[in-house]
Amino acid sequence: MEARENFSADVMQYAPQLFSTAVRMTRNRADAEDLVQETYLKAWRAFDSYEQGTNLRAWLFRIMTNTYINKYNAKLRRPDETELDDVEELYLFRRMGAFDQSKMSASAEDQMFELFTDDEVKSAIEDLPESFRLPVLLSDVEGFSYKEISEMLDVPIGTVMSRLHRGRKTMHKRLYQYAKDRGLVNEALLVETDGASAPSQPE
Amino acid sequence: MADCQETLNELDRFLDSELSPGDKEEIMGHLSVCTDCQGAFQFHAELREVVKKKALADELPDGFLDRLKNCFGDQILDDH
Ligand SMILES: [Zn+2]
Repeated sequence: MEARENFSADVMQYAPQLFSTAVRMTRNRADAEDLVQETYLKAWRAFDSYEQGTNLRAWLFRIMTNTYINKYNAKLRRPDETELDDVEELYLFRRMGAFDQSKMSASAEDQMFELFTDDEVKSAIEDLPESFRLPVLLSDVEGFSYKEISEMLDVPIGTVMSRLHRGRKTMHKRLYQYAKDRGLVNEALLVETDGASAPSQPE
Repeated sequence: MADCQETLNELDRFLDSELSPGDKEEIMGHLSVCTDCQGAFQFHAELREVVKKKALADELPDGFLDRLKNCFGDQILDDH
């Protein structure tokens, strides 16, 4: 009884991050709330299988990821070669010279933060097909290791790595497109400053 | 020492803290002498932080935490 009461208090601290990740997974706030509630009900019922002292956060995310995959019949195993266009390496980085400095914050530390809106970052993730979206969420947003993600998604570590790499490039390309749509980008600058602001393609 | 291409190939694993201490040291060695690669690594590290902060910035629905706590409340009674 005592242990169970501690448990409910311990798991509540992760509710905000579980909710945000659930929104990115389901792309819908109402579905996300349902998903987190189901996760907590399952966690409560599976309490006896939780080993005290092990990573509670990883355990909860594992339950939520499994619940999402089963509930939405997520296809994580199908060949994904055709799902995303190939994006060149360092896509966004090589285009940073095109950002119009006069429309950006003066402080260098704030620039990256102000370059993209919250909604743009959320959309760039949510637009990814789920076999890429889930690894990117679990790594870039939640910071889980390749091994943890491999276990949560039941795919090999090499697959996790290749999907992260391709998913990130696609997300970065989308962010660039959003900035361009908002008029932050002057691609004429890119030609002029090419090589000055970004490393040339390594030999 | 790792060259530029070898270093950039390890960008993901470096930022994901998945490199062995030896490999990490080799990458750090290259970054300390190559401002181009250092810029690329710095950029992606900052971008990662921004993505993380913005992707977690969701306001919780009204009453969400109370409804969640009910997930436990009912079963506490059941257990008695
Ligand atoms: Zn270099």
